[in-house]
Amino acid sequence: MYRKFKVSYKEDMALLQNRWQKSWLAVLVLALIIIPLFLGRYQLSILNEISIVLIGALGLNLLIGYTGQLSLAHGAFVAIGAYASGLLTAKLGMPFLISLPLSGLIAAALGLIIGIPSLRLKGLYLALGTLAFGFIIEYIIQHWDLTQGDLGMAVKHITIGPWTVKSQLQYFYFLTSFACLSVLVTNNFVRSKIGRSFIAIRDRDTAAEAMGIPIAKYKIIAFSLSAFYAGMAGCLTAHYSRWIVPGSFGISLTISAIAVIIVGGLGTVLGTVLGAILITGIPHVIVYIVDMLQDSYPALSGLMAEIKLGIFGLVIIGTLLVEPKGLVGIYQRIKVYWKTWPFKY
Amino acid sequence: METAVDIIFSGLSMGAIYALVALGFVLIFKSTGILNFAQGELCMIGAYICYYFATELEVPYLLAILAAIALSCIVGALIDLLIFRKLVGEPVHATILVTVGLASILVSLAGLLWGHDPHSIKSPFIGKTFTVSGMIFSQALVVTIGVSIVLFFLFILFFKRSLLGIALMGTAEDSDTAGLMGINVKKMRMLAWVLGAFVASVAGIFLAEQSFVHTGMSHIGIKAMAAAILGGMQSIGGVVVGGVLVGLIESLAATYLTGLALGGFHFGDIKDVTAFVIMILVLMIRPHGIFGIKEVKRV
Repeated sequence: MYRKFKVSYKEDMALLQNRWQKSWLAVLVLALIIIPLFLGRYQLSILNEISIVLIGALGLNLLIGYTGQLSLAHGAFVAIGAYASGLLTAKLGMPFLISLPLSGLIAAALGLIIGIPSLRLKGLYLALGTLAFGFIIEYIIQHWDLTQGDLGMAVKHITIGPWTVKSQLQYFYFLTSFACLSVLVTNNFVRSKIGRSFIAIRDRDTAAEAMGIPIAKYKIIAFSLSAFYAGMAGCLTAHYSRWIVPGSFGISLTISAIAVIIVGGLGTVLGTVLGAILITGIPHVIVYIVDMLQDSYPALSGLMAEIKLGIFGLVIIGTLLVEPKGLVGIYQRIKVYWKTWPFKY
Repeated sequence: METAVDIIFSGLSMGAIYALVALGFVLIFKSTGILNFAQGELCMIGAYICYYFATELEVPYLLAILAAIALSCIVGALIDLLIFRKLVGEPVHATILVTVGLASILVSLAGLLWGHDPHSIKSPFIGKTFTVSGMIFSQALVVTIGVSIVLFFLFILFFKRSLLGIALMGTAEDSDTAGLMGINVKKMRMLAWVLGAFVASVAGIFLAEQSFVHTGMSHIGIKAMAAAILGGMQSIGGVVVGGVLVGLIESLAATYLTGLALGGFHFGDIKDVTAFVIMILVLMIRPHGIFGIKEVKRV
């Protein structure tokens, strides 16, 4: 394998450390451009779902994985983003390119509101406070005339200037490039001063404060940043599914987002990507298997929701019992094994 | 007709249920450090088992309750044995997520075994009333409040007088020191789970008597956390006061706020969020609750 010693900090900080990584990235990009042309609508819709989940989960990982603040209000921020963009484009006729960042900003502003009380709360209490916030937001959306409650709200297609994003393939290119951009931004962000401060707060907040990191400021930044990502994910969900109801942004969305980052590996961007693929993929695999077994066990399809929920729970518990570092931990173990093969160390 | 007495009475009985769930929640939290998001699901499992024995197998009601409680305790012990014993020392978010996963497994099990439709328990107390000086009381509510009071007294006695209870309190206080003093910490953790499942199943059965047995009833677990937070997560007395307060406020809010509208905003089903509003307010104003003692962390 091609190796060399690093002689400057710039080389050490580089995102792509060697030619191998660069060439594999090029292969991946080519694959992302070419393969979708041969996929059907259903496969594309799974990939689109993964992209949206990934964007939201990246923000949550910044908050839970990097800053160590346990928040259970992710679903609420996604809902805020979705409804903000839906209302802005429908009622005010705002173009999508403005409503996308604006929905993120609105969510971030509300994130600021829970960020401030969170300065007093830690661990479990923070989890409970954010959980309560999530339920209250869901209640408000359900009971406000503006958001039409359980009736749901129709949202327009994404329009950028003269183009309208309509088919699954167009959505795929749009959402995937947006997800790739988010991954790149997050990757750069966590290496910056703010990102390193987040990690310091997670590892030991008292020591971080003693080293001159203003904890209050960075915790609030982490909250609003995470809400910003979630808001944009919500905006994309709204325009992609074109119909939003409050029920789809409840506690179950929060739980699956947390499952993404934990199953993938907390505090790693690669883990979030792997987790998003796995957690979004599992229900589709289950649907596929149940469909196959339908002829011999016709009763199965009626129990689909329970089977999905149960397997989901098993995957989460299994991951945490067997491999607490998540998929990234497995990946690293395999990598070390092959690097040193046939020796053990 | 909704008189003030009725409102307070139904609030009290709901508060008793909240207090029971919150008690299990605090027991598990104090002894093991785990925030159990599956507490409401344990209630649901208890209610389903009771329904299965009482209605499907037509066992006498008291026996059905005893069977439900016994089986729930076994479930609690198994949860500790199979899952949480292996997670000692893991970070908070990991254990919380495991309880969330556990909650979804329990709901899915109940759904697979008994289906989505709500069932009603054949209880001898349902629909019966008695009159005291002109006021009509429902028997189910009286039994709920009465049994809860007895249970709370038994628990206080258990923690104050019995060796086992004191050992459990010691483990909750400081598990390392308790271990050095010769207390079997593993057993105490399991006991906490068993007791938690026990009170949860009792609460679940009472809740099912007031409405139906269905998978959505697990929602009570999260509401009971508001009671625990309000009371301060420290003592049984605090939990009882917290539960009763949450139940009363909820009942009052449901009566006086429902039907109000504020510029396109309707306060329907306010019962669903009252507990959460209380929770946020308590966390903002007095995070350690009414009776809790502020935790001071040493560096």
